Amino acid sequence: MTVAAGIGYALVALGPSLSLFVSVISRKPFLILTVLSSTLLWLVSLIILSGLWRPFLPLKANVWWPYALLVVTSVCFQEALRFMFWKVYKRLEDVLDSFADRISRPRLFLTDKLLIALAGGLGHGVAHAVFFCLSLLTPAFGPATFYVEKCSKVPFFLVSAIIALAFVTIHTFSMVIAFEGYAKGNKVDQVIVPVIHLAAGMLTLVNFASEGCVVGVPLLYVVASLTLVHCGKMVWQRLLESRNQSSGSQ
Amino acid sequence: MESSILDSLGVEIIGVMAPVSISANLIYLENPSDSATVKLEGSIENAIVFVVLVAAVTFILVLLFYYNFTKFLKHYMRFSAFFVLGTMGGAIFLSIIQHFSIPVDSITCSILLFNFTILGTMSVFAGGIPIVLRQCYMVVMGIVVAAWFTKLPEWTTWFILVALALYDLVAVLAPGGPLKLLVELASSRDEELPAMVYEARPTISSGNQGGNRGSTLRVLVGGGGGGGGVSDSTSVELQAVRNHDTNQHGRGNSHNMDYNAIAVRDTDNVDGNGDGNRDGVERSPLVASPISSEHSTAEVGMRGNVETVTDEEMSPLVELMGWGDNNSEEPRDLEESLNRGIKLGLGDFIFYSVLVGRAAMYDLMTVYACYLAIISGLGCTLILLSVYNRALPALPISIMLGVVFYFLTRLLMEPFVVGMTTNLMMF
Repeated sequence: MTVAAGIGYALVALGPSLSLFVSVISRKPFLILTVLSSTLLWLVSLIILSGLWRPFLPLKANVWWPYALLVVTSVCFQEALRFMFWKVYKRLEDVLDSFADRISRPRLFLTDKLLIALAGGLGHGVAHAVFFCLSLLTPAFGPATFYVEKCSKVPFFLVSAIIALAFVTIHTFSMVIAFEGYAKGNKVDQVIVPVIHLAAGMLTLVNFASEGCVVGVPLLYVVASLTLVHCGKMVWQRLLESRNQSSGSQ
Repeated sequence: MESSILDSLGVEIIGVMAPVSISANLIYLENPSDSATVKLEGSIENAIVFVVLVAAVTFILVLLFYYNFTKFLKHYMRFSAFFVLGTMGGAIFLSIIQHFSIPVDSITCSILLFNFTILGTMSVFAGGIPIVLRQCYMVVMGIVVAAWFTKLPEWTTWFILVALALYDLVAVLAPGGPLKLLVELASSRDEELPAMVYEARPTISSGNQGGNRGSTLRVLVGGGGGGGGVSDSTSVELQAVRNHDTNQHGRGNSHNMDYNAIAVRDTDNVDGNGDGNRDGVERSPLVASPISSEHSTAEVGMRGNVETVTDEEMSPLVELMGWGDNNSEEPRDLEESLNRGIKLGLGDFIFYSVLVGRAAMYDLMTVYACYLAIISGLGCTLILLSVYNRALPALPISIMLGVVFYFLTRLLMEPFVVGMTTNLMMF
């Protein structure tokens, strides 16, 4: 609607990640590099997906099941990529550990590993917000606004910003859960991440119904807060464990 | 407790990526308007002419350097820096004033412009200027030249970018390439390579630990040449300098070592680096000496007939400790004495900015995609640099990735994403 509104929408989508970036990530340059590379990975996955789906676009706007298929395939692809990302990270961790040994510094701490996972997740989240929300925000800086018929009470920009915020949270923290799950071999954690992602994707399908966003968006936030809570519990447990370990071994 | 290695890895890479990001963004703000396309043959022709001109100018540069016309080059470089900032920067100032309707009279404006230009010229090659100012002016010069470049028609721009990336690859790596000749000349004479570089951070060697007084790394800051049209250097010559090795052999000519050997802690290539830092052998010195030459862009019908060869010239910025100290090099404690700093050529800045600016003329999505592509290309180049330890061109990987991502995003991703988000469907 105006520059103020445009900036407001951008901050709704990216505010928390910006503060996370400034307070945590920008302190360590390696984490910035991690954010950039995971953003790139997400972008590449998006390009591949759009390449795969391009012949079938544009989809008809009334039928919902092609969209469902789209979401399911995309989520599966991205989860597979997340696993590959973890594999690459494992190898990098070995390299970093041997480097640390070589210069006689301590190996990566638990907090370091969690931070790297957080940075990876943040990269994914920021990429989502940028490509799904920010890149469409340019008209919002102008004099008018835009409404979608399916969600006619709220400007399109605001709805997409709110949804983007939920997804940023989900992406950021599910990466931490996923990394810890793969590292510990914890099946629950490993499975819960794709489930959350798929559930979130499916919930956006609810927006397809008329005025569905009234139901869809709050449910999405329920999922996002579930992710947050689970991640918080898991991290807390791990930190307690490692503190007990290190004090026990001394 | 000891800080983990996570704190220190990657510092130098970020130091270079930050200004690239800034200059890319500012280009976008400067050019909101769009332009028309030209015929395919016309643009290919333009691109070829451009590359030929760039190559010719680079050869002239090599010749001048070979015959030791350094004074001439130096003055020419100063002139061209002045010229770029004055005329092109001035034109941009004027258009900003017009756009925002700033009430300022012509006398004030010309005085301000003059001050700005003089300060820029001085900061680029004279010593004693704070590094931040020099960095700012480098970025500004890159932006100014790139802003002019985006006035080119669209197809021409893409072809020029691709052609220059290929030229860069050839010029730096092929045996007859002018930039390779230049690098070899400079290294065989132990002279400074004329270059205009952006320096990531002041490199002051703390090589004085434990009483080791080796010849420390000289920092060379490229002065010179912006100006005119194209900054040719484009090739980031990331030049590995064998400063350290020669010093270890006890040659006491430390004060002749004018390379800029900025060692980067090799974070990504730990295996390749053998014995580790204790031996003082393993370092990957990175020197990016971009050689920027300018040439007129008359052939693309833009403007200016300035044919300025920017031969950079390096003036030692910081004399590090141990200058004139002819002690032979002792194996130093490299952890402390590693100078962190990467240098990137001004021409590379310019072409990255041109790429992003051109992407911005289409949509924001392409901007982000191209920005990510360039940054990752830069990262790849830096990694390759630490592996190969020799002069490498910085343009090809980034430009190729950028062009590929631009077209993929524009053709594939945009319908996909826009179709989904307007139905409020995301994943």
